[in-house]
Amino acid sequence: MDRPDIQLRNATYREFVALGRAPTAEEVATIVGTDPGEVRAGWRRLHEAHALVLDDAGEIRMVNPFSAVPTSHRVVAAGKGWYANCGWDAFGVGSALHVDSVIETECPDCHEPIRLVVRDGRPDDASLVFHVLVPAVTWWQDIGFT
Amino acid sequence: MLLFRSEDHVDRWLAGRTPGATVPISKLAELADAWWGDRLDPAWEPHTREQNQQILDDLGLTGPFWRLG
Repeated sequence: MDRPDIQLRNATYREFVALGRAPTAEEVATIVGTDPGEVRAGWRRLHEAHALVLDDAGEIRMVNPFSAVPTSHRVVAAGKGWYANCGWDAFGVGSALHVDSVIETECPDCHEPIRLVVRDGRPDDASLVFHVLVPAVTWWQDIGFT
Repeated sequence: MLLFRSEDHVDRWLAGRTPGATVPISKLAELADAWWGDRLDPAWEPHTREQNQQILDDLGLTGPFWRLG
């Protein structure tokens, strides 16, 4: 990942947080002073490097830990509502923003709602557990499933 | 990578599938801070695999299941 791609990645993340949604290639191109085609090419390289995730159309799908599309992991943090890609990422939203957060999801077994307040990095319900189904070496084989 | 009410709920959900790894929620919170805490830093740099492995190791997430490569 070269310096211009890191700068593109950082600009994309900043804009995602500022807008509360995935930025378009046109919006990011304006910020970094290039054209949308260059942004899309850079995003593709960042996708290959696992620095963000594109969907099949080449639009932003994940700027991990944030999800650009609705998921079953909702987070309220820094005065905004977000979606996270998984349980780990749900905690990551508050970690990335360096703020307290509220996580809302449901238990995949019983489908009862789960609501967690994370304050100073500590969840208010220590009885819950986190399960990782697939080994770490395979996490990026199908990141949507992971 | 999902949150469950308890280990019993994980077992029921697995329904005989091979389990992965179950981690207390407090450990997940620590992991998230270490893994994601720098993602919005203006001077963010990519983590190397070795850096990410060190994060897992430091939290006691060791063994073949947690090897990144």
